[in-house]
Amino acid sequence: MVREFVATRQTSYTSKILRSSSHRRRRRALLRLTARSSATSLSVLRPRTGTRGLALSILSLQILASKCQQQYPLLNGKEKCLKNDILKTTIRNMSSVRHLNQEEAINVDLELFNEYQFSVDQLMELAGLSCAHAIAEKYKPDPDKGVLVCAGPGNNGGDGLVCARHLRLLGFTPEILYPKPTDKPLFNNLVKQCEMYDIAFIKEMPNMESLNSKYHVIVDALFGFSFKPPVRPLFAPIIELLSKTSVPVVSVDIPSGWHVEDGPTDDTPALAPDMLISLTAPKRCAKHFRGRYHMLGGRFVPPQMQKKYELNLPEYPGTSQVVSLS
Amino acid sequence: MVREFVATRQTSYTSKILRSSSHRRRRRACKEKCLKNDILKTTIRNMSSVRHLNQEEAINVDLELFNEYQFSVDQLMELAGLSCAHAIAEKYKPDPDKGVLVCAGPGNNGGDGLVCARHLRLLGFTPEILYPKPTDKPLFNNLVKQCEMYDIAFIKEMPNMESLNSKYHVIVDALFGFSFKPPVRPLFAPIIELLSKTSVPVVSVDIPSGWHVEDGPTDDTPALAPDMLISLTAPKRCAKHFRGRYHMLGGRFVPPQMQKKYELNLPEYPGTSQVVSLS
Repeated sequence: MVREFVATRQTSYTSKILRSSSHRRRRRALLRLTARSSATSLSVLRPRTGTRGLALSILSLQILASKCQQQYPLLNGKEKCLKNDILKTTIRNMSSVRHLNQEEAINVDLELFNEYQFSVDQLMELAGLSCAHAIAEKYKPDPDKGVLVCAGPGNNGGDGLVCARHLRLLGFTPEILYPKPTDKPLFNNLVKQCEMYDIAFIKEMPNMESLNSKYHVIVDALFGFSFKPPVRPLFAPIIELLSKTSVPVVSVDIPSGWHVEDGPTDDTPALAPDMLISLTAPKRCAKHFRGRYHMLGGRFVPPQMQKKYELNLPEYPGTSQVVSLS
Repeated sequence: MVREFVATRQTSYTSKILRSSSHRRRRRACKEKCLKNDILKTTIRNMSSVRHLNQEEAINVDLELFNEYQFSVDQLMELAGLSCAHAIAEKYKPDPDKGVLVCAGPGNNGGDGLVCARHLRLLGFTPEILYPKPTDKPLFNNLVKQCEMYDIAFIKEMPNMESLNSKYHVIVDALFGFSFKPPVRPLFAPIIELLSKTSVPVVSVDIPSGWHVEDGPTDDTPALAPDMLISLTAPKRCAKHFRGRYHMLGGRFVPPQMQKKYELNLPEYPGTSQVVSLS
């Protein structure tokens, strides 16, 4: 919707009319604008000549206008300004924030650990916390269904484990699938914390029917920005199910199986998450994201680092740990 | 505030209005009463039912989180410091001309202060840190490095009263926590003296420094009178002596089972907030 709107704004004719003093001309120009963005294939926009042609054009325009009014009702002044602000903020958030390639993502991470002397514990805690907050913002806890957290073997999986713990505190009922636990103190501790929080660890991926009936949200924390295709055999069936389930999937940082820069590959069933939570900054593959909610989390990037990498991150509202990018 | 309200409720003024013949006045008085009633109920519930831990219980809860739950100090300190920053941001707005002075002690309370300073920076405040006795351990060295990389200034000595009152709009007292046993060592006594007399609002992290963890202000030390107290995990007994404006609870990492085990009766945190008001 945004891209189409930007395209139509480039027509100078309509822009001129929008500044016209005549209210009726402005209305008509706005309708034309919205009509074009939704019905570009309609042949009625072909120029016609002659009186009959003119009458036909006016009639078709009126039909289009009524259709558009249903889809894009004309707003009064206040609503227009509000939607304008939201649109401007969304465009600004989406278009100006820099999308990192794989090398930059790795470098930013290394800098945080080596130069800033952050520990993995610290940043993972803040990352997992923001994931839980993003989920809580858009999905409400379901008394009858749980949240399935699929945790991979690396740091992305660690983020998932932290997220599960915080989801528990926020009133959700998480369950964790951790098919390939990493035997290091950090991960062993995270598992222990989840167990102490009464979070069940399931032994194998449920089948499709079970998946669709038992859970209302699935968190995909399998692979992050260090992933290089192809997907190993252990995880391929899991991703297959996640790509076909009717339950909304929330991907942590990178939709698992996607190429970090190019997005969905031909080798793997293309995961189509409902929500993507980019951590620190979005990666290039996020441009292929077509779900409803693109959130930014991992609120620990200081101003100097933002300047250095020209991240152009949007401002987090108040004390919130997440901000919407779409 | 609660005590004043209870006092005013006892005046018959509102009661008189409620008996007034004017419908509009009765409506207004009734609405105000209901609203205040709700706030009062919630506040009383938050304040009176939440359990205040003694020193031994506070130490045990901490040990259980580290030994049985296998939390790392990094993790909990990060969440604790984050909630302190949020509590401060909730009640005090950033001042473009003045900074926030964070006084960090040698122990974990100081560590909470260092984390808090870092998050205050992200929230638009201008923190400066006084860390007179840095602890030479990787955890604390890293926290100091993070603050330096965030462009947070470390000042070498406590400013005098005039400077303190003019340069800062909030002071964070993160000197001593629940492991503290009086008396205050000579290095810190002058700092606490200034904090007890400054006109700048003081925010104490977990325990007002210098207070006895259970009995509150002692006779040995100038009594710190903070404007805000941020109790971490659960309030300690000394919080009953707190007379400032804001008593907040932070450190949102206590699972339901632990709450039951220690009968903490913690109030519910609103939404995804990392702090909740106890007064």
